[in-house]
Amino acid sequence: MITASGITKTYKQRGNMLGARAVPALRGVDFTIPKGGAVTFIGESGCGKTTLGRIVAGLETYDSGDIVIDGTPMSTLKHRHRQPFFRRIQLIHQDPYSALNPTRTIHQTLAAPLALRAKQTGRDSAWMDERARELLALVGIDPGYVLPRYPHQLSGGMRQRVVIARALTVDPEVLVADESVSMIDVSLRLGVLSLLKDLRERLDVSVLFITHDIATARYIGGDGELYVIYRGMVVESGPTESVISGPVHPYTQALLSAIPVLHGVELPGPDRVVPTEALDESHADSGCLFARRCPFVTAECEAAVPALVSDGAQAHACYHPQRRSVIPVEALA
Amino acid sequence: MTRTSAPGVRVDDLTVVYKTPAGELPALGGVSLSLAPGTITGIVGESGSGKSTLALSLLNAVQSPGRIKNGTVEIDGLGNIVELKGEDLRKARGRQVGYVFQAAQNSLNPLKTVGKQLLDLGRSHDFDDLPALLKDARSLLGRMGLDGGRVLDSYQHELSGGMRQRVGIMLALVLNAHLVVLDEPTTALDMITQAAILRIVREVHHERGLTTLIVTHDMGVAAEVTDSLAVMYGGRVVEHGPTTEVLGAPRHPYTKGLIRAIPRLSGDIDGATALPGRPPTLGTIPLQGCVFRERCPMRIAVCDTVDPVPVTRDARTVACHAVGRLATPVVPKEYA
Repeated sequence: MITASGITKTYKQRGNMLGARAVPALRGVDFTIPKGGAVTFIGESGCGKTTLGRIVAGLETYDSGDIVIDGTPMSTLKHRHRQPFFRRIQLIHQDPYSALNPTRTIHQTLAAPLALRAKQTGRDSAWMDERARELLALVGIDPGYVLPRYPHQLSGGMRQRVVIARALTVDPEVLVADESVSMIDVSLRLGVLSLLKDLRERLDVSVLFITHDIATARYIGGDGELYVIYRGMVVESGPTESVISGPVHPYTQALLSAIPVLHGVELPGPDRVVPTEALDESHADSGCLFARRCPFVTAECEAAVPALVSDGAQAHACYHPQRRSVIPVEALA
Repeated sequence: MTRTSAPGVRVDDLTVVYKTPAGELPALGGVSLSLAPGTITGIVGESGSGKSTLALSLLNAVQSPGRIKNGTVEIDGLGNIVELKGEDLRKARGRQVGYVFQAAQNSLNPLKTVGKQLLDLGRSHDFDDLPALLKDARSLLGRMGLDGGRVLDSYQHELSGGMRQRVGIMLALVLNAHLVVLDEPTTALDMITQAAILRIVREVHHERGLTTLIVTHDMGVAAEVTDSLAVMYGGRVVEHGPTTEVLGAPRHPYTKGLIRAIPRLSGDIDGATALPGRPPTLGTIPLQGCVFRERCPMRIAVCDTVDPVPVTRDARTVACHAVGRLATPVVPKEYA
């Protein structure tokens, strides 16, 4: 179980004559990843969701707040003592084409982390070979075909499966999947998604799914929690199905409204929300960060930042929460 | 002699081959496709399906080691573009056929402002009235929700991805082309920007009276914006028809599988099922028989030896042996 509280991160842009500019990537984010559970972050590009994933995987530092892994706060540990904790959390990269070393065969790619594992657990090299085959079979590819090959000889879907197998070599408890299927062909995408779903059930690993494609989030983490992130803040959260079918924050509604409608199969939702302008982070905001783009903005919104309040299952940060039907509905219901 | 109305396009039996160490391999195997004047047609397909090659053929711009081996691309008012050469071809590109390239975000010159690039474009097409061209560009950009003056004075790095995409669309339209090809217009843009770009494409299409072709791997993008939809697989158009009908009642087993593989926001999420196997690459496209047979649930003996001929019935073209055998006519459903 991983609990993050009040995580903030500010990137400093290198200065010019006018001085350096600070870019807040995360402005105090809280979330919990339960054991074996699924948690999804959605938001536009630049909202901080990738930074958050990298922080959870221990690849990025944070400015304030803390991450507690199984009761141990990471802020109390020295860097090298944190490593065993973060090893349990493995990141699956967005791009399977650049995540694998092109000069190594798949066998070599898997052997390195397995050697570490063998040393830790006192196993021999026969175990390593057997484990490599077992893991590849687990992710649904033929070990005999894949092991001697180089990454360029494999398709995108296969490479992504190899990346997942490599993450599994260290027996992780959490997989962080950052846009893991966006570069894969449509007909193969669902195969990788169902693999992640299957791993959750079979190995009891938690999945932190980071995406802008909400429908895939529903496929993998339909029973988990969804966090909608806007400019480094959680603006709405709750059980995935309930947020998707009953969003109350106008930003969530705008995101869901932007999903293309499969005309002929679906009808557009009746209350689709369109932001009044494009994202422009250069403006200073005194109140709600979404106020400038929000079609329902009032004077109150400009005054102060709304806090994330819970109404039972769902939480939202909006002065005027209102349920709207924005997602497409099946035409042949 | 610029046309003022939307042209029709007829691609007939187009074969494009790429030269490889293993010989010449077909990326397009005898594709026939018509774009009706004034419509938006979508081409969907996975990587290696030949969709970008087909789009480039509309400009006669297939790059070496590829070449158009056979077939014609007839564009109204321009003739068979496959036979155009040299200056004639260069003049047609931009003037009559506008093209928004894949990753238009990265196809601008980083060393010149957008306005300078626009003037270069105007000069290379012998425009005398450059101030009028700038005025047109400003109004087009304004139409797409941008501050035209500011954008023309900007370098590409000063614009966001969505803004660059709109600049790409402006450059394709500003010479008054009435046939516009957009290759993956929204890839790498996030959802809200994508929705805005698609809305702009549709509005500009209607206002200027265009014939538009959109190439995409995303069924949702095609569904949102097109009137007519062609599905490509292994260098063939396997199904083509009105978008709502192709999506609502797909006939080709590949189209059916593809639609079933899309997770959706409503309904039973576990109803989504993956297509078995993987799409062919240039080297693995079968040279005889149906290109989809390895992944097909409806495979029959004839699929191994004979490439199915596209058959058109009630406005739908389908290339499948098994579908042809089902004699039951499908009644298209009515949608709002």
